[in-house]
Amino acid sequence: MNDYLEKILRAAKLAFAVFDQDFFLQDASKLLAQYAGGRLQKKSATLWEVFPELIGAEDKITELLEQKAKKYELEKLSRFDQEGKLLYYTLTLFSHQQSTLSGAQLIVLITDTTKETSLEQQIQQQKNEIRLLHAKVNQYNAQIPNKIYGQSAHIQTVRAFIDKIAPIKTTTILLLGESGTGKNLVANAIHQQSMDQNAPFIEINCASIPETLIESEIFGYERGAFTNALTSKKGLLEEADGGTLFLDEIGELPHPIQAKFLTFMETKRFRRLGSTREIGVQVRIITATNRNLLQAVKNNEFREDLFYRLYVVSHQLPPLRQLGDDILLLAEKFIEIYAYDFGKKVKGLSESAKSKLMHYEWPGNVRELRNVIERAVIFAEHEFLEADEIILFELRPMATTTSVATTFELPENGISLTELEKNLLRDAIIKSDGNQTKAAKLLDLSLDTFRYRIKKYNLDNFSAY
Amino acid sequence: MPEPTKISKKVCMLGTFGVGKSSLVRQFVYQKFDESYLSTIGVQLSHKAVGPLLDKKTNRPVHMNLILWDLAHLEKFDPVVKNYFHGAHGAVIVLDLTRPQTFREYENLIKPFFETNPESKLVLVGNKTDLSADDHPRTQIAEMAANLNCPCHFTSARTGENVELVFQTLAENIL
Repeated sequence: MNDYLEKILRAAKLAFAVFDQDFFLQDASKLLAQYAGGRLQKKSATLWEVFPELIGAEDKITELLEQKAKKYELEKLSRFDQEGKLLYYTLTLFSHQQSTLSGAQLIVLITDTTKETSLEQQIQQQKNEIRLLHAKVNQYNAQIPNKIYGQSAHIQTVRAFIDKIAPIKTTTILLLGESGTGKNLVANAIHQQSMDQNAPFIEINCASIPETLIESEIFGYERGAFTNALTSKKGLLEEADGGTLFLDEIGELPHPIQAKFLTFMETKRFRRLGSTREIGVQVRIITATNRNLLQAVKNNEFREDLFYRLYVVSHQLPPLRQLGDDILLLAEKFIEIYAYDFGKKVKGLSESAKSKLMHYEWPGNVRELRNVIERAVIFAEHEFLEADEIILFELRPMATTTSVATTFELPENGISLTELEKNLLRDAIIKSDGNQTKAAKLLDLSLDTFRYRIKKYNLDNFSAY
Repeated sequence: MPEPTKISKKVCMLGTFGVGKSSLVRQFVYQKFDESYLSTIGVQLSHKAVGPLLDKKTNRPVHMNLILWDLAHLEKFDPVVKNYFHGAHGAVIVLDLTRPQTFREYENLIKPFFETNPESKLVLVGNKTDLSADDHPRTQIAEMAANLNCPCHFTSARTGENVELVFQTLAENIL
C-alpha cells in the first residue's frame, strides 16, 4: 500500500483487514498490528484468530458475503495492546466483490475511539462510584440505626419489651436510663415496629430548646401570635400526626408547658399559640429521661399528675457497664462501621484492648463507647486495635459510690490542674449529653463560666467526643 | 489418547455495576486482583483455554478457548444489548453477596439474553465471599439458581476462591 495512504489512515485513526472467501487474511494496513498483535500472518491467519470477537457472529458474516446485509458493526470494544494500553475501537464489517468471477472479500474496518470512549469511561466511573456509595450508605442506614445489638439478658429484656408494647399504638411510653443508653434507638425501634413505613417519627430534645420557644415548637402558632410570627406554623404534634412524637429529656419540659401537655395527653386535642380552634391528632407519645422524675416531683420541678400520666408504661434501659460481653459485640460493630467510613483496614480488637474495654465503667454508655472506637479507628495503625489506642476518660473509679468526692489528696508527683479541669469539663458534657446548661449545673458553674472554659480548651465541639 | 480438538466459545459476563465481573475475569485469565474499581465501558475482550474436557458425544478430549465478553452494566433497553449477546454460548451472571439489591437487577438481562441465545448455558455466581459472612444471601442465590435450573458457585475474585471452578463448570455445560 502507498505510504501516503497509510499516513491518511493513521491520521484518521483507521485500520483495515481484508479476508478472502475462505476467511484467510489477504491484506491489512500496518496499524492493524496494534490491535491484532502477532496474529497477522497473511494467507494463514484466519478471521477468528485476528478478531476473536467475531466468534459467534458466523451467521452475520455469511449474511454479508451473500449480500443479504450491508454491514455488521460492533461498537465500544476494547483490548489491551502489546504495551498494556487499553484501546477502544469499533469494528465494521462489509463485503466487497471485485468481479463477477472472483468470490466476495470480507473487509473489516477498525475505527479507534480510545480518546472519546476514555472520556465516557471517566464519567461513567464517577457515576458508578457515586451509585455504589449510595447503595452502601442505604444498606447501612437500613441495618444499623434501628437495630439493637446485644445478646445479654438485659438486651433480651429490652427486645421483649419492644415486642410487647409495639402493637399497642395508643399507649404512652416512658423510657428511663442514663445518658447514652440508647433511649432514642428504642423509641425508634418501637415506632418502626408499630407504624406504617411512611408514618412520621418526630424527635425533640426538651433540654435543647430555649424555654421561650418550646411551646411554639410543640404546639405551633398562628400568624400574629407573637412578635415575628409572620406566618402560621404547624407544631411538632401536628407534624407527628399518624406517627410518633418522641420527647427526650422530658424532665426538662418547663413547668408552665407541662400543664398544657398534660391536657393534650388526656384529650389528644390542643390549640396552637394565638388560636382558639382546637386541633385533634393521633400521635403515639414516647418520652425519655435520665433524671429521677419522682425526685423532681418531690422538688416541685415536675408536675405529679403528668408524672403519673407518663408513667403508665415505663422501662429502665440498662447502662453499658451491666451488659457484659455485649460491650465487645458493640465495639466490634462500631469498628466495622468506622473502618468502612474511614477506609481503614481495622478488623477488630486485640486481647489487651478487649480487657481495657471490659474494665471501664462507661459513664457515657454506648455513646461514649462509639466515640472512643471512632477515635481509635481514625488513629489505628494495626489490623487489631491495641489497648493504648483505646483512649478512655478514666474519671470515675470502677467501684460505684453514691457519695460525691469533692476533696482528694494531691499525689506525691503532683498533677496537671489543666488536664484535670479539661477531663471534668469533658465528663460533664458527656454525662449531660451535650446539654451545656445541665453540664454547667453538674460542675456548679454559671452557664457563661462553663462556656468560657470549654471554649478555652476547644471542647465546644461535642460531636467530636 | 487422541489429540485434543480445539474449539472456541463466546461467554458473556452479566451483572450490574460493581459486582466484580471484570475482577473475576482478571483473576481467571491473569491470576491478578486489583483493589481499585475501574468501570467497564462497552465490552472488554479476554480469552483463556479450559481443558482438556471430555466430549461425551465423540468421546474425544477438547480444549475450549473461552472468549470472555466482559460487558459493562447494561440496561435491557440499551440498543447494543442484542448485538453484544449475539452468538453467545453461555453466560456468567454475577451477583454481589454484599449488595442484595443486585439480586433483582440481573432479571432485566436474563430475558433478552435468552431471547437472543435460547440454547445457551448459565452459571450463577455470588461474588465477594471474602466480604460477606452472612448465610442468607447465599441461600437466596442458591434458590435463584434452582429456579433458573443452573449451577451456582460462591467466589472471591480477591482470593481466587472457586473462580476456576465457575468457568470450568460453564465450559463443561456448554460442551
